[in-house]
Amino acid sequence: MNGGDIAIDRARARLLGPAGLDEAAIGRALGHLAGGGADLADLFFETTSLRSWRLEGGRVTNGGFAMRQGVGARAAHGGHVSFAHSADMREGALQDTVRAVRSLARDGDTARQPQGIALTPAGGRHDLYPVIDAVAVEDATAWIAMLERIDQLAREHDPRIVRIDANVRAQDTTVLIANADGQMAGDVRPMTILSVMVVAEAEGHRARGQAGLGRRAGQRGFDAVSVETMVATAVRMAINNLDAIPAPVGEMPVVLGPGYPGVLFHEAVGHGLESDHHRKHLSAFDGKVGERIAASGVTVIDDGGIAGRLGSLGVDDEGTTPDRTVLVEDGVLTGLMHDRVNAGLMNARSTGNGRRQSYAHLPMPRMTNTFLANGQDDPADIIASIDRGIYATEFDGGQVDIVTGRFNFTTIEAWLVEKGKLVAPVRGATLIGVGNEALRHISMVGNDLAFDTGMATCGKQGQTLSVSVGQPTLRIDRMMVGGQAG
Amino acid sequence: MSELLTQSEADLRDAASLAVDLAARRGAKARASVHHEGIAKIAVRNGEVETAERSGSQGLGITVFHDSRQGSASTAGFDRAAIERVVEEAMLIAQHVQPDVDADLPASDRLAHTGPAPELYADSPRSPDMLLDAAQVLDRAANEIAACDNRLRAGECVAVATEGLWALATSDGFCRSVQRSNDARWSVMLAHDEGGSTSAFCQSQERRVDALIPPDVLVGRAADRARQALGARTIGSRRCPVLFDPFTAAKLVGELAGALTGHAQYRRMSFLPDPVGRCVSASHLDLSEDPFEPLGLASGGFDSEGIAGSSRAILRQGAVEGLFLSTFSGRKLGMPSTGNADGFYNLRLTSSAASGDWQAMLEMLGTGLVVTEFQGGKTDPASGNWTQAIKGLWVEDGRVVHAVTDVTLASNMPAMLTGIRAVGLDVERQGAIRTGSILIDDMQVGGTA
Repeated sequence: MNGGDIAIDRARARLLGPAGLDEAAIGRALGHLAGGGADLADLFFETTSLRSWRLEGGRVTNGGFAMRQGVGARAAHGGHVSFAHSADMREGALQDTVRAVRSLARDGDTARQPQGIALTPAGGRHDLYPVIDAVAVEDATAWIAMLERIDQLAREHDPRIVRIDANVRAQDTTVLIANADGQMAGDVRPMTILSVMVVAEAEGHRARGQAGLGRRAGQRGFDAVSVETMVATAVRMAINNLDAIPAPVGEMPVVLGPGYPGVLFHEAVGHGLESDHHRKHLSAFDGKVGERIAASGVTVIDDGGIAGRLGSLGVDDEGTTPDRTVLVEDGVLTGLMHDRVNAGLMNARSTGNGRRQSYAHLPMPRMTNTFLANGQDDPADIIASIDRGIYATEFDGGQVDIVTGRFNFTTIEAWLVEKGKLVAPVRGATLIGVGNEALRHISMVGNDLAFDTGMATCGKQGQTLSVSVGQPTLRIDRMMVGGQAG
Repeated sequence: MSELLTQSEADLRDAASLAVDLAARRGAKARASVHHEGIAKIAVRNGEVETAERSGSQGLGITVFHDSRQGSASTAGFDRAAIERVVEEAMLIAQHVQPDVDADLPASDRLAHTGPAPELYADSPRSPDMLLDAAQVLDRAANEIAACDNRLRAGECVAVATEGLWALATSDGFCRSVQRSNDARWSVMLAHDEGGSTSAFCQSQERRVDALIPPDVLVGRAADRARQALGARTIGSRRCPVLFDPFTAAKLVGELAGALTGHAQYRRMSFLPDPVGRCVSASHLDLSEDPFEPLGLASGGFDSEGIAGSSRAILRQGAVEGLFLSTFSGRKLGMPSTGNADGFYNLRLTSSAASGDWQAMLEMLGTGLVVTEFQGGKTDPASGNWTQAIKGLWVEDGRVVHAVTDVTLASNMPAMLTGIRAVGLDVERQGAIRTGSILIDDMQVGGTA
């Protein structure tokens, strides 16, 4: 159980107590922050600590520890947002930060002392992830043993593996959000990411493989079978890439495997449905709500409430409980993702997608867990349907141009398919397309929905966040594939 | 003191020295690095302020060395309790890692206890009010251009000012600090015609306000780029010569330099293995490094270990003369540090081959593809396989025919480096890197026309 009073009590102990703050002081600061007639004003308190261990070439070569804390203060007057933050959370520094925001907003300083705002806990309890201390130093020995096990597993898999780097990074974030409407919410967000990179070498060729596991959990969240699967995935990718042939060039059908390739929908659909891009009329999907934008059978959902996924949140960074937002339903564009500022300006309500990298960053509409819902097709039939094309199972991220809707992805694991059979692994294929065209060319959707393994991150305007993406196997009839083979 | 900063150089040096002293009292050698930045940023669109931000960051990082083991920890707070906590954490980490004789401070006589430190700070007006004026000037210029061309619409215009301090102390008695400044402006322009919408931006970044590109020029370039990108279409798959404009060329130079870092070399994650003395690019190319350029965006008197870099050749006539080494990566490779623990300083690519301005480079290209933007892709550091989705221009007989999009380019970095035919005189600076446009004779283009 997390959120609600449990999280607020922890935030009090970790954030407010050491800074000598109480709710009355926060209420006074909020009263001042909103005093200039702001439509929205909030304070975001955060403390984060991180611990990492790195194993290279069979040896634990380094470890790290980092801690940060601070408060971000924001006031919005219509579309004009003023923001300042401070690493010092004592009341004097908090008041200075609020004054900086008012000065940026050109509110002037009212002589009259504004009314303090009474705060009431909002945002209920949730079971999406546990309240634990993911960075406890006592775990060091066990984490190091796990990294050594990863090294051993990779070596045993194949003698061609010549280099293994394994990392673990555990993060513990506690947040407290209070706004001028008198709502106060807290959340405790553990996160641990385990990753491995291997290099295989044979006959003078070198190739890389990588895999990872990210969970909103501590060490107990990483069972032996999952770790073994992660290592096997990285080794298989490196060995396959040793024999990879240059990717073909040209337009062809593409099959995207289940899981991380769902980043297609994050890039090609999701970013274009973040409401800030719509309010500014920048999105390629501007004005298309209610219109058919994809083939029937295509349903895309953003859901911040899926237990254990890295995009899940008890409350978003504005204190709103995340919705399950159906973005595209059976091919028709149905929903946008809102934060409070943009929802307020667009006569909508927040969908709980207001997220920020830290207290030192402004919240924006951001995705949580974004996925294509299951269809009817058998994945084997989808591959068998290809005469000549590409089957891609792992990408190394992707990008989208919001204005044009053009996106691209580069594969790190993919195969050439001929006559329905996987012929050979191909290296470094870049897939490009335009969101609305690619969506219309989806002709088969599998029944094997899977999510990424917990390594997905999203960058927007310089802010990076963990998200989750997912999809079942699917076929896109026409997509541009670029490789080195002429 | 600057109005963006809330701490002084002396505060930072004191915090760094305290951290090192606390570690020394526990019998460890140590190095502490402390930074503090203050940032003001104003974004304006269509006459309205969209965001006004006062932000910044600060942090203290300590690395301890004890019995050939190292541990690192950092904190955003500089109070004594926080510093004591991170020293404790770093010592704990050092107990858990395995010994490595190469994990140690550099010899004290390698440190730049004194010596030249290039100017990195210029006193310029950086208040939020001044930035608001600057952003509004850009916004007015953008709207004036848009008013004269119904295909254009002004996007956001942004003015940002940053002032920063950095202090470094080691248990060998090294303690120096520097002050830095950075001013940036950018403008986004949207263009629309019957073929669709596109956007482009232009940015200027300097250490002093009066060196920035004038607002009308900056906005004009963004508008030109947006107009130029209209009507973009794909081209058929082919092999052809490719001209990288100075901005995309700088990214290629960055990839070359990245392959020559000690970290990539000792981990054998470089597509240029064992490069010293070897010709890795066309023999008409020179690449030089200069840490000491006054107000250079990548200048510095010493790296984060306290070792000074040097003005030197990295490539001479295509052959590698130097790598970018830290003490640790240097020891792994049996070489001394080059003072590049934080990567490379200012780099300049030059060529002795026939060359010319942008127009001359288009003529040298003849018929082929110009790359103006990388939209996404990947370089495999181990193999050098290189693939990118790009935007650009299709050129025939030295003349631009139409804008290009929805195409990919693919090759292999070692082949691209040896395939460079010319470097233009149209030199631009992108962060640490100065280069003109780069012409490569033969690359694989993927498209669908």
